[in-house]
Amino acid sequence: MPNIDKYNKAFTEAFMIDESNLPELKYQDVGGWDSIGHMQLMSRLEEAFDIELDIDDIIDFSSYEKGKEILKKYGAEI
Amino acid sequence: MKGFSLNPVELQEYQPNRYPFLMIDYVEEVIPGKSAKGFKNLTLNEWYFPEHFPGAPNMPGALQLESLAQMLTIAITTLPGNKGKIIHGLKHTVRFKKEVLPGEKLVIETEVISWKRGIAKGKGIAYTNGEVACEADMMISIPDILKQYLPKNEN
Repeated sequence: MPNIDKYNKAFTEAFMIDESNLPELKYQDVGGWDSIGHMQLMSRLEEAFDIELDIDDIIDFSSYEKGKEILKKYGAEI
Repeated sequence: MKGFSLNPVELQEYQPNRYPFLMIDYVEEVIPGKSAKGFKNLTLNEWYFPEHFPGAPNMPGALQLESLAQMLTIAITTLPGNKGKIIHGLKHTVRFKKEVLPGEKLVIETEVISWKRGIAKGKGIAYTNGEVACEADMMISIPDILKQYLPKNEN
């Protein structure tokens, strides 16, 4: 599966939202992306890309777009 | 990590609930981060039996679930640095199989499936007379730890 699809799937499944909501999405924009949802998203991304995110990156992961920059550091080009 | 037991006095160091809401009596073995098992003895003196229900006392299902969650909590609060921390329930799915009656011993076995960044997933089964009384998938958190990982634009 292409990286963008894996990336989008992590969001849509963690927050139960449609892919059309993703481009502008920020932390707490939707009910599902609360504190618990954030940890679920991080776990899904770690599993999908076989990586372990640092605490600083988890804190910085404040939007859908920001997340793409962060994953690049782990060798996952979205 | 090596397992150990906790008597009713000792377990209160790892479990903030008190009468009338402490739903575990004894931890026979806790392996921090892995599992916790023990029991709750039920006498007719339990505060809920007179009302639930008059003439047909049985332990409320919500409190059976609470027993499982409190035991799972012990497996997390015994990890280094977690002692005395407040734990919140996040999401539980429970199935009840039979009535739990006065005079019975509720045997409680819980297992940690994952513990990461302040969130624990686990499962538990409670038995009476060797038969399953209820079973649950549980998710609990330590908010103190969880909040260390949140984006800074939290409102």
